[in-house]
Amino acid sequence: MSDKTTPLYVVCSPCRRVGKTLVSRLLTEFYVVNDRPVAAFDLADEGPQLADYLPDFTTIADISETRGQMAFFDRLIADDVGVRIIDLDRRVFKNFFTVVHEIRFFEEARHRSIEPLILFIIDPDPKSAKAYAVLRHQLAQVSLLPVRNQIETAAIPYGDAPSKVNMAPTSLDIPLLDFPLRALMDRQSFSFSRFWRGSPADLPASLKPELSRWVERIFFQFRVLERLLGCA
Amino acid sequence: MTKPAVVLIGGDKGGVGKTTVARTLLDYFARQQLRVRAFDTEVPRGTLKRFHPDVTDVVDINHVPDQMRIFDTVNSTDATVSLIDVRAGLLSPTLHALRNIGFIEAAKKGEITFVLFHILGPSIASLDEIVDTAAYLGDAKYFMVKNFINNTYFFEWDEATHAAYFKRIPGAVGITIPKLVEMAAEQVDLASVPFATFIANQKQSGAPASYSFVLRGYVRHWLETISAEYDRVNLTDILEAKESSRPPIGRPRPIIKIAES
Repeated sequence: MSDKTTPLYVVCSPCRRVGKTLVSRLLTEFYVVNDRPVAAFDLADEGPQLADYLPDFTTIADISETRGQMAFFDRLIADDVGVRIIDLDRRVFKNFFTVVHEIRFFEEARHRSIEPLILFIIDPDPKSAKAYAVLRHQLAQVSLLPVRNQIETAAIPYGDAPSKVNMAPTSLDIPLLDFPLRALMDRQSFSFSRFWRGSPADLPASLKPELSRWVERIFFQFRVLERLLGCA
Repeated sequence: MTKPAVVLIGGDKGGVGKTTVARTLLDYFARQQLRVRAFDTEVPRGTLKRFHPDVTDVVDINHVPDQMRIFDTVNSTDATVSLIDVRAGLLSPTLHALRNIGFIEAAKKGEITFVLFHILGPSIASLDEIVDTAAYLGDAKYFMVKNFINNTYFFEWDEATHAAYFKRIPGAVGITIPKLVEMAAEQVDLASVPFATFIANQKQSGAPASYSFVLRGYVRHWLETISAEYDRVNLTDILEAKESSRPPIGRPRPIIKIAES
């Protein structure tokens, strides 16, 4: 077993169309860009899904029955997986955290130097706040970070500056992005890591700086998160 | 000084989970550091013994020497608790015989602690057993165990029936055993180890095993729920009750043959 702690991210929300798959994509490709081993798990059942965007890094999982839970959770705590990212669909939200609570999954993960972090994408829907409160109470020992995705829910106030490196962030912020770039990003052929390493042929030159700044802003937050988790 | 305790687990129907409940009790007693011996009446091979071989003997409850082995040594054994997993169909005859040898009377006099876990099944016939059992109980501590192995409702949906049977015995206490995920139950059965050993990911020998973490987690959660039930009914306090000032029981009358129903 490695001595170094590796992160396990659970990207979730009880609401639909809040950007869980986008955040999961960004996280996965952050590690790809940094040449770190990463395994993503797609628990979504309405698409487009993470597995459609990143088929080489993503395993589709079904935890509706015990056998699927064994295949999923037993694998998550295996030694050789690297960084783990779970894209958790709203329909599986309750079942996932019920199983996690019953089998004390996060406790076991920590015991194996896997540090869990729940990235909860917030939404004005009241059930979002309620679910967040329940998670905070039930999983008090686990890091829980709200994510403000300005692309899907612009009503949520956005902080201007990214967090400083030595300050614990109070949220992860996905900034607003112009429509043409959003449309480009939504294509299954678009890759953040390929963009980061060199411009895709079909990206207009005028849009490149904005997208670069946007990705850099998010990747910076990921680096801060990693340091705070003790995984950098 | 602690009184010797005899714990009977029975039910007149097969497949209601008597041995499963016996296994949870043995794990609970181990955690509470109670010295226990167990008797498995499923001759010849036993069922309980497979999981707890170090503390369990297989006995023929119809066989007089085996009866003497159990009941004549209640006072002299090192174990605080003698647990008997009574085979299906033998609960009522066993209770009848215990009354005839003076065992129930000894419990009434405070010389031993007698505890009965009556494992109920999902049918009305099982509820009729409660009526039959009531006649033998005397001062025994009686636990009515609803074992949800089959997702049964135990007639809770019919208040009149539920009240008629479940309130039949004054002082009876209900215990609920929730259902264990089937795959977890199967894997523990396959491993032939106590529940606690499975949770610890060990084989019977103590060597490391490779059981599924998910299944171990389910078994742990299930066993903790059951332990909380045993805590709730103060089981340890009942079993560790102190002796009265009366002299210990004499040699019981000869055991009579326990006829199968």
